Amino acid sequence: MSSSTSKALDPSSVELWDHSHHHHDVISTRTFGFWLYMLSDAMIFAVLFAAWEVLSYSHNFAGGPTPANFVEPGYVFLQTLALFTSVLAYGFTMVALKNGNKAGVISGLWGALILGGAFLALDINDVVHLVGMGITPERSGGLSAFFILTQTHALHILFGLLWMLVMLVQVSRFGFTADVVGRLLSLRLFWHFQAVVWVFVFVFVYLRGMLI
Amino acid sequence: MSHDDPLQHPEVQVASGRGYLLTFLISTLLMGVSLLLVANHAMPPFGLMLVLSLCAGLAVIVQIYFLMHMDLSETHIWNTVALVLTIPLFILAIGLTAWMFSTLYERTMVMLPSMHGMAGMVH
Repeated sequence: MSSSTSKALDPSSVELWDHSHHHHDVISTRTFGFWLYMLSDAMIFAVLFAAWEVLSYSHNFAGGPTPANFVEPGYVFLQTLALFTSVLAYGFTMVALKNGNKAGVISGLWGALILGGAFLALDINDVVHLVGMGITPERSGGLSAFFILTQTHALHILFGLLWMLVMLVQVSRFGFTADVVGRLLSLRLFWHFQAVVWVFVFVFVYLRGMLI
Repeated sequence: MSHDDPLQHPEVQVASGRGYLLTFLISTLLMGVSLLLVANHAMPPFGLMLVLSLCAGLAVIVQIYFLMHMDLSETHIWNTVALVLTIPLFILAIGLTAWMFSTLYERTMVMLPSMHGMAGMVH
């Protein structure tokens, strides 16, 4: 060691970095980067859950309707089933991807898309129904927090569905290239993450809201 | 591990149909139980919220393990580290806010005793 460092180095010829070709694992790097994005996205939900927590006391509803008056648990459970089966369909999409089964990936994506669309349709129908009854975000602080939290989740679902449409096109046009596979993996994290958020929304917003 | 075929990447190969089906069954069951407990007013509010929190926590742990594949494997250890380092932020953001406002409400408003609850619990 001392013998090699004792040799005088010529600054004009010294190698400052390693030029040899290493395998850069693009899929791992992108997936990790997307996971960090999902965690920062989760901070948005953390803030909205904190807002819901402090605005869900009965006095925060300004004498107006509370979730106890309008939440139909059976209806929300139907939404739960739609989202969880959509997440399951995306899981089977990933199994088909593992087996290199293109038709399986396409039908899995369609399944996840349709079931996720059912979730979103149920949500939109619910919001229209509530607004029709005069239950709107501007009615009280409690309802503002209720709507912003549930609809931020619904907005995530909408973007997940758009992303699935894009992936349907990309899988059929380009096949399983590294880019397409990487995007399917990021969408997996995104979509499965929505199920985790929904567990909290279902239990701590809808079910707990029924106890206010 | 091959660097040519993206389908051979460990991130793809980790997919498991059995794990996904198990997650679906467990989380649907837990959400169904939570729903029935609330709909039937099966317990006093505090105990009910405790059981609901346990159900939600268990469902989320199952999902994070089987869907997100958070574990200590070479492929996923840094995802797990990032998650573990973010969890304190969630606890601080939600827990401290809830605590501050619950004491604020107690000190600034005349409230019925039933409105006082534990942070994150029934009000």
